[in-house]
Amino acid sequence: MTDHLILRPSGEFAGPVDEHTLVLGIETSCDETAAALVLGGYDVASSVVSTQVDIHAQYGGVVPEIASRAHLDMLNPIIARAIVEAGVPDSRIDAIACTIGPGLIGALLVGVSAAKSLALAWDVPFIGVHHHEAHLYAAFLEDPTLEFPLVVLLVSGGHTMLIEMQDHGRYKLLGRTIDDAAGEAFDKVARFLGLGYPGGPAIDREAVHGNPEAIHFPRAMMHEGLDVSFSGLKTSVMNHVRKHPDVSSEDVAASFQAAVVDVLVTKARRAAQQVGAKGLVLAGGVAANSLLREQFLDACVVDGIHGFLPSREMCTDNAAMIAAAGWHRLRSDGPTSLDCGAFPNLKIPGLT
Amino acid sequence: MLILGIETATEQVSVAIGGHEGVLGLFEVCRGRRHAETVTPAIQFLCRQADIELAEISVIAVDVGPGLFTGMRVGLSAAKALAQALRIPMIGMSSLDLLAFPLRHTDRTIAAVIDARKGELFYAFYRPVPGGVQRVLEPQCGRVDDLIADLMARGDDVVCVGDGALRHRDEIHAELRCEFAEQFLSRPSAAPLVQLAHARALREEWVNPWEIQPMYLRLPDAQINWSTRAQGSTDNTGGLAR
Ligand SMILES: [Zn+2]
Repeated sequence: MTDHLILRPSGEFAGPVDEHTLVLGIETSCDETAAALVLGGYDVASSVVSTQVDIHAQYGGVVPEIASRAHLDMLNPIIARAIVEAGVPDSRIDAIACTIGPGLIGALLVGVSAAKSLALAWDVPFIGVHHHEAHLYAAFLEDPTLEFPLVVLLVSGGHTMLIEMQDHGRYKLLGRTIDDAAGEAFDKVARFLGLGYPGGPAIDREAVHGNPEAIHFPRAMMHEGLDVSFSGLKTSVMNHVRKHPDVSSEDVAASFQAAVVDVLVTKARRAAQQVGAKGLVLAGGVAANSLLREQFLDACVVDGIHGFLPSREMCTDNAAMIAAAGWHRLRSDGPTSLDCGAFPNLKIPGLT
Repeated sequence: MLILGIETATEQVSVAIGGHEGVLGLFEVCRGRRHAETVTPAIQFLCRQADIELAEISVIAVDVGPGLFTGMRVGLSAAKALAQALRIPMIGMSSLDLLAFPLRHTDRTIAAVIDARKGELFYAFYRPVPGGVQRVLEPQCGRVDDLIADLMARGDDVVCVGDGALRHRDEIHAELRCEFAEQFLSRPSAAPLVQLAHARALREEWVNPWEIQPMYLRLPDAQINWSTRAQGSTDNTGGLAR
């Protein structure tokens, strides 16, 4: 299977893509089943998310087969609810956008198969959307005044990237993790400290009562470049706890979180400065972390740059961002062919 | 009344349209695992060639398994969304029923056997009755030894059908005398699916899309490992950190 976007116009779509175009978005790439209706690329008419986090918690991570089964059970009612909440008839929907990658292949296929069926039944375009491109668009849903060039710090369980958004569909990868994603580091440290899953919120809660300066954990590659590395930090947390078994886990959580946030914020500021960004945006599941949000905004104020924090609902996986990204893709590239599949390792289109 | 049948439980993608005149169109392709790529264009192509609008379809029939999980979910998800969008009911049929039905003119017991991978088989037994077949052993998941033991326990003359039967042909043959159905019958097809669904549709034995239940017959590996771990083993959960 080749991991590139298939963007071949089906030739059946002639209508203009404008502020009246209503897109149904569908998202099933990981452990959230979501559907949403977005008007004109910016206006969220409804957004329904059903999370499976409780189902996977006992396994300490997302189990692909369990996620796929849950998506198949949940998707029809979630789509129905999104349409009802938007208060529009089916016939008003102009296009169907769906995540085609990256993600868990079995989970992605449930959404893609359903989305293409809906497009066929309603005779509207199908749009394959890249999950991370959609995360970049989450910010535009809440702040349409954002101006290019933008620097987006995309931090989730699977990815940690600094992306320059030069224009719609034109991206430059400025930096990324050379090992673990930030969310992955949170999960591993939380599991090690026995704080449960998912690790992000667990560390966040535990850190509230801890001293972030109690232990000075290393900040790898802090002084050069825009890439990040978290695997050494994770190891040094484990070593520290093994050496000091009586250490307060609250202090460990707070100090670990401080190190991650320190690195992320430093790199994001440096990136924004380098490209002369007009705005700095936070995106992805880890963007829900309280300390990251606080320090990110503080840094933007100090640097005099337009900083944007999406709401917590927009940070985590949702389908409104899929519909928004789909609207932009439909406008620039037209519909995606109905023989499109799903791509677990898809690269962001237009990323250099 | 027109019925659209969708079947993706094995490596094959099979789509058919039929009604009281029988099967009007059938599309089948078996080239590796490209279910999601194939199924929607196949429906589009079949409708166009049979000169049928999707709006004319009154029931969606779907193979609910057992079969290869990822593949069968592609057909199920596509079928459920179609039924939801067209606001029509659904009829779910087991892949094993679809394998057995074309052999209804035999006088033997029919063993429908699908390869479940990981050394396991999905199987069920049927006997021919006027106009069709009747299940005499409910769908099972087991190893080839289990299948052979179940067949020996019945002591009937047997005809085996399905990719699982062909895969284990030599082992089955070594233990008991039985016939094997032709290779071209070894995958469930949407043609018997629409035929069987038509009979049910006449009796209005249908359900809403959200009531369709997949027949997995096997827990996800993580759940299997989890329950062994709960009993004292130290197996890994197989969980994937996000
Ligand atoms: Zn995401």
